[in-house]
Amino acid sequence: MYFRWQIKMAAYIQLVLLWGFIALLTASVLAETKKKEESLGDKVHQLMEWNNKKSIIRLNGDKFKQYVRTAPRNYSVVVMLTALQPQRGCSVCRQANDEYQILANSWRYSQHYSNKLFFTLVDYDEGSDIFQSMKLNTAPVFMHFPSKGKPKKGDTLDIHRVGFAAEQLAKWVGERTDVQIRVFRPPNYSGTVALALLFATIGGLLYFKRNNLEFLYNKTSWGIIALAVIFAMTSGQMWNHIRGPPVMHRNPNTGQMHYIHGSSQGQFIMETYIVMLLNTAVVVGFIMLNEAQSMKGDPSKKRILSLVGLGCVTIFFSLLLSVFRSKYQGYPYSFLFK
Amino acid sequence: MADADLVVRNDIRSAMWNPGGWKSLLSFFILALAWLAGFSARLFAVIRFESIIHEFDPWFNYRATHYMVQNGFYNFLNWFDDRAWYPLGRIVGGTVYPGLMVTSGSIHWFLNLLNIPIHIRDICVFLAPVFSGMTSMSVYLFTKEIWSPGAGLFAACFIAIVPGYISRSVAGSYDNEGIAIFALMFTYFLWIKSVKTGQVFWSICTALSYFYMVSAWGGYVFIINLIPLHVFTLLLMGRYSQRIYTAYNCFYIVGLILSMQIPFVGFQPIRTSEHMAAAGVFALLNAYAFLKYIQNFLTKSEFRYFFIAAVTFAAAVVFVAVVGLTWAGYIAPWSGRFYSLWDTGYAKIHIPIIASVSEHQPTTWVSFFFDLHILVCAFPVGAWYCIKNINDERVFVVLYAIFASYFAGVMVRLMLTLTPVVCVLAAVAFSKTFEVYLKDDSPKQNQKSLDENGENKNDRLYDKVGNKKKVREDKPQEEEGLGINVKSIIIVALLMMLMLFAVHCTWVTSSAYSSPSIVLASYGQGGSRTILDDFREAYYWLRQNTDDKARIMSWWDYGYQIAGMGNRTTLVDNNTWNNSHIALVGKAMSSNETAAYEIMRMLDVNYVLVIFGGVIGYSGDDINKFLWMVRIAEGEHPRDIKEVDYFTPQGEFRVDAAGSKTLLNCLMYKLSYYRFGQMQLDFRSPAGFDRTRGVEIGNKNFDLTHVEEAYTTEHWLVRIYKVKDLENRDNLKTPHRPVKKSRRKSKKSSKKIGSIKNKPKVVKGKKSKSSKAGSRSGGRTGTK
Repeated sequence: MYFRWQIKMAAYIQLVLLWGFIALLTASVLAETKKKEESLGDKVHQLMEWNNKKSIIRLNGDKFKQYVRTAPRNYSVVVMLTALQPQRGCSVCRQANDEYQILANSWRYSQHYSNKLFFTLVDYDEGSDIFQSMKLNTAPVFMHFPSKGKPKKGDTLDIHRVGFAAEQLAKWVGERTDVQIRVFRPPNYSGTVALALLFATIGGLLYFKRNNLEFLYNKTSWGIIALAVIFAMTSGQMWNHIRGPPVMHRNPNTGQMHYIHGSSQGQFIMETYIVMLLNTAVVVGFIMLNEAQSMKGDPSKKRILSLVGLGCVTIFFSLLLSVFRSKYQGYPYSFLFK
Repeated sequence: MADADLVVRNDIRSAMWNPGGWKSLLSFFILALAWLAGFSARLFAVIRFESIIHEFDPWFNYRATHYMVQNGFYNFLNWFDDRAWYPLGRIVGGTVYPGLMVTSGSIHWFLNLLNIPIHIRDICVFLAPVFSGMTSMSVYLFTKEIWSPGAGLFAACFIAIVPGYISRSVAGSYDNEGIAIFALMFTYFLWIKSVKTGQVFWSICTALSYFYMVSAWGGYVFIINLIPLHVFTLLLMGRYSQRIYTAYNCFYIVGLILSMQIPFVGFQPIRTSEHMAAAGVFALLNAYAFLKYIQNFLTKSEFRYFFIAAVTFAAAVVFVAVVGLTWAGYIAPWSGRFYSLWDTGYAKIHIPIIASVSEHQPTTWVSFFFDLHILVCAFPVGAWYCIKNINDERVFVVLYAIFASYFAGVMVRLMLTLTPVVCVLAAVAFSKTFEVYLKDDSPKQNQKSLDENGENKNDRLYDKVGNKKKVREDKPQEEEGLGINVKSIIIVALLMMLMLFAVHCTWVTSSAYSSPSIVLASYGQGGSRTILDDFREAYYWLRQNTDDKARIMSWWDYGYQIAGMGNRTTLVDNNTWNNSHIALVGKAMSSNETAAYEIMRMLDVNYVLVIFGGVIGYSGDDINKFLWMVRIAEGEHPRDIKEVDYFTPQGEFRVDAAGSKTLLNCLMYKLSYYRFGQMQLDFRSPAGFDRTRGVEIGNKNFDLTHVEEAYTTEHWLVRIYKVKDLENRDNLKTPHRPVKKSRRKSKKSSKKIGSIKNKPKVVKGKKSKSSKAGSRSGGRTGTK
């Protein structure tokens, strides 16, 4: 019995204490929220005003501290920390900025637009102190500042892995804030315009030459077009288009330029051009070999032409073979050169 | 009698010395040699290993063929396979191209009819090499129609040994492509023939050959788009003729009806966008023919107006019809696989399962060179001369070359369709060059000189004069032509390059394309060979030691092999028709053990099979494929699986101690590395050193709760785990609270049933008295 009573007493005491604590807390919170609400309301109002003018809000150091870092917030902020000044020479930043602009515009003009999410931008030349305080030495960096608490690990976008396409940004923002943005890209007219221009030129040519359409029957030009397509494909331009490899590779240690990728799984853009040239040279050699016979004129010229053709075929083919050999480890055969 | 005999002899003699007879004998001989060379070049795998079916898909084809041979064709068409895609099953008859099975089945039937007993497996193994010979025949015929018989012989020899085709037709790779390339080239040959002759007979033959192609391979879409494109281009070039009209109309109508007889194709030819080009060209061709007919009755100015009106009207009608039908859903839009050929970024974003297959990657120039060698440099020359000397059928070859090289650039797999045309055009190039340089400059003069030589022999008195004459005649001859020296240099150089090509082909075939991938071989320092037969060991274990109805979960790559060799039910297999089912398996593999157990219970899984190459350094194992499992699972279950969680903060995929926690605790990791942490492979490396990744694994000492190891093969390549039943899980999952309860209860119960003396209970009590935590953890490790 005694034990039970003791528990009861303890419970009572706890209860009283708890109530007291809660009362205190509510009082203090009430007092604070009044203060906050003013500043919070102001902040949101200010941000909305800015956002009405521009879909991306530019922040400098002070504003960044005031609107992003300081605590009373009920809105999420996405910040792109970047260096857009031309003298910085950051081409990636410009591309990222374009994508970011698309995303921000999609949000600004979407039906769900609200004051829960703002897109902001900090330029290095306007707020280098922010970069220092956040220990950033690369740009661009995308960060999300949640409405409550501090940014966590996933609040910085991993650009190296997902890239910065507007769709990927929207997915990331959706993950972090539960605000789903449908990216609306302004339709890209450049392709259409280029196509229209092409058709216009072709049409124009046809119109001006309507009395003499012989050039349409010119087999040489058609042949060159067909061979160009074939050369582009067999030298792996499609791989370049899909995978987007670098043009060439500079060895960071020696500063030497590598034009040819070391493994057979990859290739550089430069390398494919080299291969295309070698292929073309072999083909030209073959054609010379064949044309030498039917050429009219001096027989010694014929002989020279055929020998030059043969030289083209053998030398450039063995060059091609040695390039292949350098990429494909353990390939045993070579021709003329190692 | 004697006279008659003499006449016959004379006939034979004249036939023997008739150049035409020699020509055909020679070409027959060359073709036979090409067939033989092609056949024997494809036997590397059989000689090195044994007569065995290779890789993955062939195992399904073999299983289906086996089923058909045993149960008959109609049962095969109605076959519902309940051993695949558990619990869904698969209607095999309606989802397979039956041409391959029917071909080998009928060969089997025919040989048995002749009382030649042969196992169906041997027919399956040697089908592709035999068909490669038939392919070189049809390439010969095709090239003969396009250019000349000499070029045809070159092309036949090229296609017999070119690696781009050997890669899909070595002995044991029993796949659709093996017979489909023959069907493809034969159809093209017949099409060229029908365009040339304009006979109904040839175009009906084309349609029949097309039917065979449709029954054999999904690549028939290439034919049904290329032939209309050919016709369309001919119309644009103003090369319309009655022959083309007959050829195309007969081919299209008969081919359409025949192709719809294949259950898997069904109504696709009239309902999908891939086939619409053919229908459009059919309409256009008929409209054009109609206009041509009308032209006979109208004056020029009348016809002009009529022409414009008719064209606008027809275009509007066709456009409205196509759009309307697509909108109403009668015509399906382009399917993902075909769409990804045009919009190359499409599959990467939308269909990870297509992007995950290594065959669907774009092609580097290295693989072009690897598969075609000198032909890749020579075939544009052939295309050039085809354009220079254009006619109806050469238009077709040029179009084929351009489009096939585009498709081959987009997908490695489509290198196969490019290879025949490369052989044809390279043969044109080489044969043209050799024709120029092997031909005598002026055969008449040579004959003269020969005659003079003969004269000289007869009367030696005029020796000097004859020589002088010869010298005189030789000079102008050399000046006109290129001279024998230059010619022979060129011929020898070209022959050297061709020899190099043959050597390259043999090397590539032997080193790259002749491994069955079911049996692995490793070579020691002295060239000694060790065979790693782990796959068959594991599948045989499954066959012998598991219940007949046991369900095996593995990644889809191994589905066909488990079904074919293990004869057990699988959840997913290489026929990747159900993405969400695959994603479910991927999710199970990439979640932690408890979550995975729920999925596995849901799917009634009895065994889990994983491929682990860490012990022998096999790179194609499940851990290396793991990111695709995560990606595919994320596509369907984005809330539960996130690809980011499997990377380190630096964005790397690592299995060592720095790897992400999610990765180190997922089911795939645990199944691969269970007990591996205790294993030291050699003295230089630490225990648990993964040879494939070259790192020491990060999570070494762990136990499995819901699964237990059932079997691991000799080199640890295949590991099989048994999924435990639910009862076991209850005992294991609630060790904490019930101990306390049981103690209280035991006190009570001890009063009730005093007579029971249970020794183990007493022991338990002792342990728990000494230290609760210690006994618990001790108990857990004890279960191991």
